[in-house]
Amino acid sequence: MLRFIVRRVLGAIPVLFGLSVILFLFLRLLPGNPAVAILGQHATPQLVAQINASLGLDKPLYVQYLQYVWGLLHGNFGASFVDGRTVASTFLVRFPSTVELTVGALIFAVGLGIPLGRLAARHPNGWIDGAVTVLSLFGISIPIFVLGYTLVFIFGVELHWLPAIGQLDPRLNVTPVTHFAIIDAILSGRAAAVEDAVAHLILPSIALGSIPLAIVTRITRASVIDVSNEDYVRTARAKGLTEKRVDDRHIMRNAWLPVTTVIGLQVGSLLAGAVITETVFAWNGVGSWVVTAIENHDLIVVQSLIMIFALIFLTVNLLVDIGYAVLNPRIRYG
Amino acid sequence: MARSRLLALLAVAAIGFSACSSAATTAPSAAAPASAAAPASAAAPASAAAPASAAAGTPVNGGTLVVGLPGDMAFADPSLVSDGNSLYVDTQVVQGLVGLAPGTLSDVVPVLAASLPTVSPDGLTYTFTLRTGITFQDGTPFNAAAVKYNYDRWKNYPKGDLQDNAYYYGAVFGGFGSASNLLSVDAPNDTTVVFHFKTPQSNFLLSQTLMVFGIQSPTALQKANADATPLSGNKYAQGQLPQGQDMVGTGPYVFKDWVPKDNITLVKNPDYWDPATAGHVDEIVFKPIGDSTARLQALQSGSIDIAVSIQPTDVKTAQSSGLTLIDRGNQTCNMLNLDLNQSVGGKATIYANKDVRLAIASALNKQSYIDAFFAGQALVPTSFIPVGTLGYKAETLPTYDPAKAKQLLQQSGVPASQLNIDLYYPSNVTRPYMPDPKNEAAAIANDLQAVGFTVNLKTEDWGTSYITDATNGKFPAYMFGWLCDWAGADDYLSVAWFGYINGQPNPQFHYASPALNDAMQKAIQATSADQANQYWGQAQDILAADMPEVPLSSAKTPGAYDSKVHGFVPQGGVLEYLNSVWIQ
Repeated sequence: MLRFIVRRVLGAIPVLFGLSVILFLFLRLLPGNPAVAILGQHATPQLVAQINASLGLDKPLYVQYLQYVWGLLHGNFGASFVDGRTVASTFLVRFPSTVELTVGALIFAVGLGIPLGRLAARHPNGWIDGAVTVLSLFGISIPIFVLGYTLVFIFGVELHWLPAIGQLDPRLNVTPVTHFAIIDAILSGRAAAVEDAVAHLILPSIALGSIPLAIVTRITRASVIDVSNEDYVRTARAKGLTEKRVDDRHIMRNAWLPVTTVIGLQVGSLLAGAVITETVFAWNGVGSWVVTAIENHDLIVVQSLIMIFALIFLTVNLLVDIGYAVLNPRIRYG
Repeated sequence: MARSRLLALLAVAAIGFSACSSAATTAPSAAAPASAAAPASAAAPASAAAPASAAAGTPVNGGTLVVGLPGDMAFADPSLVSDGNSLYVDTQVVQGLVGLAPGTLSDVVPVLAASLPTVSPDGLTYTFTLRTGITFQDGTPFNAAAVKYNYDRWKNYPKGDLQDNAYYYGAVFGGFGSASNLLSVDAPNDTTVVFHFKTPQSNFLLSQTLMVFGIQSPTALQKANADATPLSGNKYAQGQLPQGQDMVGTGPYVFKDWVPKDNITLVKNPDYWDPATAGHVDEIVFKPIGDSTARLQALQSGSIDIAVSIQPTDVKTAQSSGLTLIDRGNQTCNMLNLDLNQSVGGKATIYANKDVRLAIASALNKQSYIDAFFAGQALVPTSFIPVGTLGYKAETLPTYDPAKAKQLLQQSGVPASQLNIDLYYPSNVTRPYMPDPKNEAAAIANDLQAVGFTVNLKTEDWGTSYITDATNGKFPAYMFGWLCDWAGADDYLSVAWFGYINGQPNPQFHYASPALNDAMQKAIQATSADQANQYWGQAQDILAADMPEVPLSSAKTPGAYDSKVHGFVPQGGVLEYLNSVWIQ
């Protein structure tokens, strides 16, 4: 197992290296200029040249790249062109929000998707199955921003049940310590703050979790139906085991495998979805940061964030593979 | 995998540009004229008084006010910013020698100065007498030495990070160090400050109402080593120091903390020097919300109390959901033009013919664009600068008259076969003065074709090439606007458009008018406001006769607030003093 992990980690290095080259060139060959983005209407040729020189953008590409990689090797992701803050410091403040959102969405998707999938699988092609199918289709086809604005409109603007944007009501004066809104709220020791933080998490989690919910539901349904038709399930039933025992020990245990893979893969798409969700809900996470950085041609931030996203994706996939081995003793990595 | 991630991001970027594009983000171009946090004396048009709901009763103190801004602050050091969001925050915390009377664009009043300065007859020396008994928020006394310290600090900013970000000092004074038109600032005693200039500068007072020229505590600046570069490691600029050590001014609110992209918190200054302009709410939280729909929904659901700006198209929605509209009146601070370049690539265009330019001006139904694309929230210009701008003079500009346009075209002698217009509009952008460039360009094209032109619509990406191609003179006819830096005629006419560059007419227009250049030079170097205004009037007369560009509209910037907000005084440059605001 250890050897497997080491091999996977080593294998990630060329992937990341290749990505860094492609990203670097791609972003710099794109038309547009950070200096113009920074200066806006004040972008006179003279000022543009001055800013380019300050940002080091007047140096040859390979020099810029080597400087960037040299920084990366020293754990230095560089600093934003726009506000001068290091990517690392901003990342530490913003990443917890994205984690919180992603976990919220996963809880929503998995917590609802698996029971729904099992329910649908119990009576294939019945009306419950049909309803669940329609629901999943909705989940997959509605764009996140449409769902997000609609949810805010209904539950925030019209009904006033849930807050529209943000992670915590600033009027509560919760001091950011960990930058996980819920943990900070707990640390503040006030029930009202915790309640507020949870309330803020609900709508964005639903918006972001809708697509994974649909996928998890479909996969669970398909997987459960598949496994239910296996010989060993029939055998188990024939042995006179209770339906619950057959379900838990024989069907679900085996049906979990594809479901786990899909959940793991969804973490990647959740990160992409967070970009939109955080914009709609004005969340202070990594996703909305990417949007601002792209708008501002903040090249260092964009390339560093995409590298970090890739790293997260690779890590999650590795964890999924390890999870496989735990769930399925037949799989051994040599 | 990397590819799909990248594509996803690009797709999202596209959404960011189109759906959510009112986001002003932190790009400095959102700049608008700032103002000092409070017009000094109680006599100044009582800040809390006047409009909207203030009549409802006596101000109540206390509470937290949450204000939605279109973007985050850039730096906590006001001298290093040039964007409207930063300036909105700075306006509550720091004060300058002079400021703007609440609700005005160009009415300069003394703030930290006891009165407006005396100016020497040659216009080269300004002498201020300062108020006494004022302390900075860290307890440092405010005096002439503090003023000198600040002006000297800005002037001596070294090349690199500091000069790059201190855009306004360079723009107003023509450069840093020895290039600066501001020769020196003397502090002969505690209450007297004397400014010496190389050449007279009639925009000096108005430009100093921008809070980038707010006076900060020298003690705090020195203690924090506020000039350290790179700015990534500068804790003062990044706003990372404890309350009372960062952005230390003299204003009614104190900078408390800043969680970037999430919120900026100010608290009431308990030791504020002027009871008449002290704040009412205990705490102000600024919440940057880039997406305009999210900002409006946040207001509707009560997450924020004020949305500083909303989309013109959302005005009806805001009103129907019981919010109070922020109507900034006719005091606008922007202008959208159809620019006509008389020479492109060394060849004269049809716009070199004055009759053609005047025909274009008569062909355009400006009010119809305002109704269609600004939801009515804009004004038809009555000169080349907006009403409320210092130096404004009402002109009789051509009105919509297609028959007259056709007649002018005939008179021009340009054969019909040459009446071709390549009309450029920018893509992937909306600006406050330009909410829907593509469709507005189409409407303009329609009007022009109706009088006999053939129009080809052309576009380029705003950030990639549109700005640079326009300013380098590559477009013959194009939509281009300006958000004012300060509400003075010089900022539009000289800085943005017709100022000669290295002795040559701006290549954006190739409009050579020695008379205009002369009038502008005289106005800029005038030694009295009256004299300056007179020359600016002449300049506008010349422009109205020559029509080198066609002013299309001045957009109002609507905003909205919750019914519990009182005492809000709208300002046309979108820089309000919040000291007069209370909640109940």
